[in-house]
Amino acid sequence: MAKKPIKNIIKLSNDLRWQIGDDFHDNLAEGIYADAAELVSNSVQTDSGKKRFRLDSKIDKIITSKTWGFPLMFLILGVVLWLTIIGANYPSGMLAQLLLDTIHPLLKSGASSIGMPWWLDGFLIDGVYLAVAWVIAVMLPPMAIFFPLFTLLEDFGYLPRVAFNLDALFKKAGAHGKQALTMSMGFGCNAAGVVATRIIDSPRERLIAIITNNFSLCNGRWPTQILIATIFIGAVVPSSVSGLASVGAVIGIAILGMVFMFFSSWALSKTVLKGEVSTFNLELPPYRPPRFWKTLYTSLIDRTLIVLWRAIVFAAPAGAVIWLISNIMIGDHSIAYWMINGLDGFGWLLGLNGVILVAYIVAIPANEIVIPTILMLTVLVTGIAGGEGAGVMFELDSVTATGDILRAGGWTLLTAVNLMLFSLLHNPCSTTIYTIYKETKSAKWTTLASIAPVIMGFVVTFLVAQIWRLFG
Amino acid sequence: MNLSNPIYNLIIFLILSVLAYLLFRPTKGWFWIFKNNLKVNEKTVIEDILKLLFHYENSNKKGTIDSVTRGLKFNDSLIIDVLKEMSIKELIQLDGEDLSLTNSGRDYALKIIRVHRLWEKYLAEKTGFDKLEWHERAEDMEHKLSPKETNLLATELGQPMYDPHGDPIPTHKGKVAEVKGDLLSKLPVNTVGRITHIEDEPDVIYKQILAENIHIGSQIRVIENNAKRIVFYSEGEEFILAPVVASNLTIDVFEKEVTLEEDMVRLSSLQEGETASILGISKECRGDARRRLLDLGFVKGTAIKIDLISPLKNPKAYLVKGTSIALRDIQASKILIKKQ
Repeated sequence: MAKKPIKNIIKLSNDLRWQIGDDFHDNLAEGIYADAAELVSNSVQTDSGKKRFRLDSKIDKIITSKTWGFPLMFLILGVVLWLTIIGANYPSGMLAQLLLDTIHPLLKSGASSIGMPWWLDGFLIDGVYLAVAWVIAVMLPPMAIFFPLFTLLEDFGYLPRVAFNLDALFKKAGAHGKQALTMSMGFGCNAAGVVATRIIDSPRERLIAIITNNFSLCNGRWPTQILIATIFIGAVVPSSVSGLASVGAVIGIAILGMVFMFFSSWALSKTVLKGEVSTFNLELPPYRPPRFWKTLYTSLIDRTLIVLWRAIVFAAPAGAVIWLISNIMIGDHSIAYWMINGLDGFGWLLGLNGVILVAYIVAIPANEIVIPTILMLTVLVTGIAGGEGAGVMFELDSVTATGDILRAGGWTLLTAVNLMLFSLLHNPCSTTIYTIYKETKSAKWTTLASIAPVIMGFVVTFLVAQIWRLFG
Repeated sequence: MNLSNPIYNLIIFLILSVLAYLLFRPTKGWFWIFKNNLKVNEKTVIEDILKLLFHYENSNKKGTIDSVTRGLKFNDSLIIDVLKEMSIKELIQLDGEDLSLTNSGRDYALKIIRVHRLWEKYLAEKTGFDKLEWHERAEDMEHKLSPKETNLLATELGQPMYDPHGDPIPTHKGKVAEVKGDLLSKLPVNTVGRITHIEDEPDVIYKQILAENIHIGSQIRVIENNAKRIVFYSEGEEFILAPVVASNLTIDVFEKEVTLEEDMVRLSSLQEGETASILGISKECRGDARRRLLDLGFVKGTAIKIDLISPLKNPKAYLVKGTSIALRDIQASKILIKKQ
């Protein structure tokens, strides 16, 4: 009996819908605004604020001007990146000194003094501890510098203007101007860049920004690029310009990343993502003095520590795996040896080698440990002197000595160039993959974001290798 | 196989890429064509024939076996087999060469059209697919949705009366709202009216209409109408169309002496330093995009002026209710204003 009146109400509402037509949402919004305007005019007095606004528009006129807009933007981004890379060197060195050179031997001797079996000590201290320590030492300082600087710019109100200036470029690729910001954030850390895409409120453009964030060279990859460029690119030019050449090569790779970002954004928006809703609007908030301490606190807690924690959680098992594959023997050789052997052919086809591919497989959790893993594995399979033992990652203070080990492992200029390319174009680290899943809640987009870059990496390195060999 | 020869490697790679392109390129890839062909079944053919006959009936054309086989892309013998079966099922009447719908056939056709137009409405409101794709996707979907799903969809969309092109959506009882209006190509000079319908077939002409940035719901005044071209004024701009294109636009002519709001122009025509007040948002701005604009305060009566122009000219930031909001030009063209 109770059902009938409900049915009548539904029927009545359907009839009424026909009568009021399609416009009632608009009318409702207009009504609400009219009421609000009346309330405001009755109760709110305005007299100050006008002067502030004039200052705002003066700043805006400079920041978004044709002459100054772009140079200012490059200058500011350049300074932020420079401060991050250079500024992070010292604290990174100190942390490495403390965690790797002081505490690690201390733990080792402590373990042997209590009579811990070699395999447990290796697994825990050489595997798990070392990977975690490495990630902290390399990752923490740049993030602790980059994120507060970036957040200060955001807080001041500058970043929305950058999106405003660049939107026309991103629009051509089917993306949102704010992707310029999430992309820059990706130069610090891709996981943080993916989280930052929350500022893009249009579903399609947000997915594009998430999936393409990996093309921003993150701070886990900058050191690899710089090291390899210094060893191999710097060596082929006269020593007077070697510094310039290697810096140029790294910047070239970063710019190539942007090219891939634009291309993939365009391709995504034209194919798999064309059905997602796309809207655009960009608020340009008034400028305000940044709240320095609050910004520092929130950027350290919200961004740096959360990302660092995730990275540690993923790095610990990676360290364990690296130690295990180097120490568990199948027949006469370790698992790592067999993997490297198996992948050598494919690696050669890509102008890389088995060691590099294995390092990228086990170092999915963190790009920071790729070089230490490569060095360890190279020493392991070539049997040359040096290193710290099977499964113990290491890095050398001397760039020349590092180069010697790599050359002993069969590296050429081609290997170096392709490693730099592959470091740019491979799957995101597991922290980023996990973050992409958390942000999109979709296995489909997560898979696409993880697989697509590595396929591009294979194709690009393959083509470079073949053409190199054809003419080399 | 020897993989050390780079030339062989490159050739193999090239062959594989070309193959992948031929298989999977959008819409024309062999894989997609194959997949689409698998979907053709009797139900699809029956429904397409019914729809075609319904449209013939509406435009007072006569349906014949010949016109149906020419009008549809299916195999001729398949169509003839299906026609025979349809007449047994009493969906159509076969009278020699002539075909006509029975009452139950007409009801069936209306159901298909209902799904088609509802789905276009859905694509317009809830997805980001380009306008050019709506028709094809609805053609596909109209054969798939059950009556129950269709009613759910209609409820979800708020029982819309018209699809995004201005065609009426039949109700589940088969009631169809009336479309008033005449074809633009037949209107005398100085007629004032409103665009109520934009035909989306054939593709070529629809593309031209879209390229002109003509919006449904816009007020127009005819300036010139001859065999060569039709010129009309709308929202501060002049549009020039070939008669063939103009006949795809339906205009609801204002019966009373309503004066056209000559000063109603698009926001995209606002210059720096000018002030204007908003008159409304065009019907072309739909779904989330429309609601977002309303939420931001782009409502009737609001004062608006340009705050900033980006170094690349697009987007522009507009000052609305004390806030600076950047919009792209394509969006600004869908907001109507009156300059002061």
